[in-house]
Amino acid sequence: MTNAARHEGLKAARLLMVLSSISPLFVLWAIRGNSLIPDRYFLAFCVVMVVAPNAFLWLRVRTARIQQDRRQIVVGTAEDHRDHLLVYLFAMLLPFYAANLGTWRDLAASLAAIGFIVFLFWNLNLHYMNIVFAARGYRVFTVFPPPDDSPFTGKGGQVLITRRVFVSPGDRLVAYRLSDTVYLEMDR
Amino acid sequence: MKLDFDFATVAVTEFGVGRDDGEGERFLLVPVDGEAQSDLREIVATTWRNMQELEPTPRRYEPAEKHAPSEHFYLPIGDDLAERVRAVHQANNLTVAGGTLSDPANVFCYFVRMTDGQGRRLTGLRRANQFKGILKSRLLRFVSDALTLVEDDVFKLDNDFDLLMDASNVHILHPSGFEFVGHLQDAVLRAVPENGKAVQGDLTFVEFASIQTYALKHARAARLLASIRSQDEGKRIDKASLKRHCKTNGIEIRETKGKIIVPEDQVVGFLEVLDRRRYELELVKGSPERFKAGSRQKLAK
Repeated sequence: MTNAARHEGLKAARLLMVLSSISPLFVLWAIRGNSLIPDRYFLAFCVVMVVAPNAFLWLRVRTARIQQDRRQIVVGTAEDHRDHLLVYLFAMLLPFYAANLGTWRDLAASLAAIGFIVFLFWNLNLHYMNIVFAARGYRVFTVFPPPDDSPFTGKGGQVLITRRVFVSPGDRLVAYRLSDTVYLEMDR
Repeated sequence: MKLDFDFATVAVTEFGVGRDDGEGERFLLVPVDGEAQSDLREIVATTWRNMQELEPTPRRYEPAEKHAPSEHFYLPIGDDLAERVRAVHQANNLTVAGGTLSDPANVFCYFVRMTDGQGRRLTGLRRANQFKGILKSRLLRFVSDALTLVEDDVFKLDNDFDLLMDASNVHILHPSGFEFVGHLQDAVLRAVPENGKAVQGDLTFVEFASIQTYALKHARAARLLASIRSQDEGKRIDKASLKRHCKTNGIEIRETKGKIIVPEDQVVGFLEVLDRRRYELELVKGSPERFKAGSRQKLAK
C-alpha cells in the first residue's frame, strides 16, 4: 500500500484535538499564575490554549454532522478505556501542575516536556482522551470488528466515544468521524 | 425481483475505492461530504431504475453467456462466482484512507455502501473507467466567457454502478464490470474441481476427469462447466439423447465400459451441448444447419 493510503489523515485536526485534551492543564496554570510572565500575557496564552483547541474540536464535530461524515461500525469486541482517563489525569495533568515554573529554564523544560507529550499523543492517536467528553457523560471504547471471512474487513481497532455504558459484540453503531480512527456516537 | 433495502431511510452512505498497489487488492473508505453522498444515493437509485427498465424479472447470471454491455442479471450472494464482490459487501469497519486519492493511478474500482434504518446494507460497485480516465484528460470550464483549464484534481463518477448487492443477491447491470471487479475468470477456474465434481455426480455416465483437467487450463471450458452446474439439470439428462445430440452437432465422443469419453479437442463442443448452446435446424429440407449460441434464453412456452 502506498504512503497515502497507509497514513492517517486529518493531521492538523488530530494535533488540535491533542491540544484540546491537554487544555485542562492550561486552566490550572492560569489559576496558578506565573512569576516570570505578567498575568495579562500568561493568562492570554492560557486562554488561547484552552479556547482555540476546544473551539476547533467543537468545529470538527459540527463539520462532521453537517457533512454527514458518519459510518457504520460493527462491534466484535470492545475494550472500555475509563482507566485511560485516570492515567491521563495522574500521569500528565497533576505532574505538570505541580511542576515548578519559577525560572525560565523550568518553564522551558515544562514546555518542552509538553511538546514531547503532544507529539506522542498525536503520533499514537491518543487524541480521544479528552476531559470535555468525560464531563459530558461520554465513555471511550476501542472497538474491533468481529471475525469474518472477508479479507477486506478492517484489521485495526477504532476508538468509539459514546454515551453507552456497554458496547456489546454484534452491535452495529452509526458514529461521526472525528479522525480516521476516532468516532463519536451522538444520536441514539 | 425486489431490492432488500429501503431507499427512504438511508442512515449511512459510505464511499470507497478498490486499489491494487502490487501487494494485493485493498478496499478503503474515502470520506465524502453530504452533497457527494446525496449524488451517490441518486446514482444507486438510477442503477436500480435502469435494471428494472431493462428486465424486472432478471435471469440468473451465467458465466458462459455472451452478454450485452447492459443487461440485468442476478446471482445469489452466496454463489461461488460472487465470492470476491461478496467479500466487499460483507466487510466490516473498512479502513478509512482519505489520502488514497492523492495517488489514484492504482484505483481499479469505486464503491458506495449504504445502510438503511433497519441496518440492511446495499453496496454499489463500479469499475473505475471514467474515474481513472479523467486523470489523464485535460478538463476545461467556463470562467466568464472564456474556457480555462481545470487545475484541481477531478474525479468523475459514472452515471450508474456495474452492480448492486443486498443481503440476498448480486444485481448485475454491466456484466463486463462484474466480471472485471469480481475476478470472474479466476473464480471460474478456481471452481473447476468443485463444479466438475458436482456435474460428474449428476452425469455418472460421462468420464469427467479429462474434461476437468482441460477446464483447469481453459477459461471457456471452465465457464461452460460453471454454467452447466448452475442449471442443476444434470440428473435429468438422458445418455442416449446426449449421444444423439453430440452426433448431430459433430461432436466426436467414444464410449468405453459404458462411460462417455471426450477427447481433449472436443471438450468445449461437448460442454456446449450440455449447456444447450449447440443445435441444428433443418428449415430447408435436406440441408441441416448447425449453430452455436453465444447467448440463449430458455423460453417458458
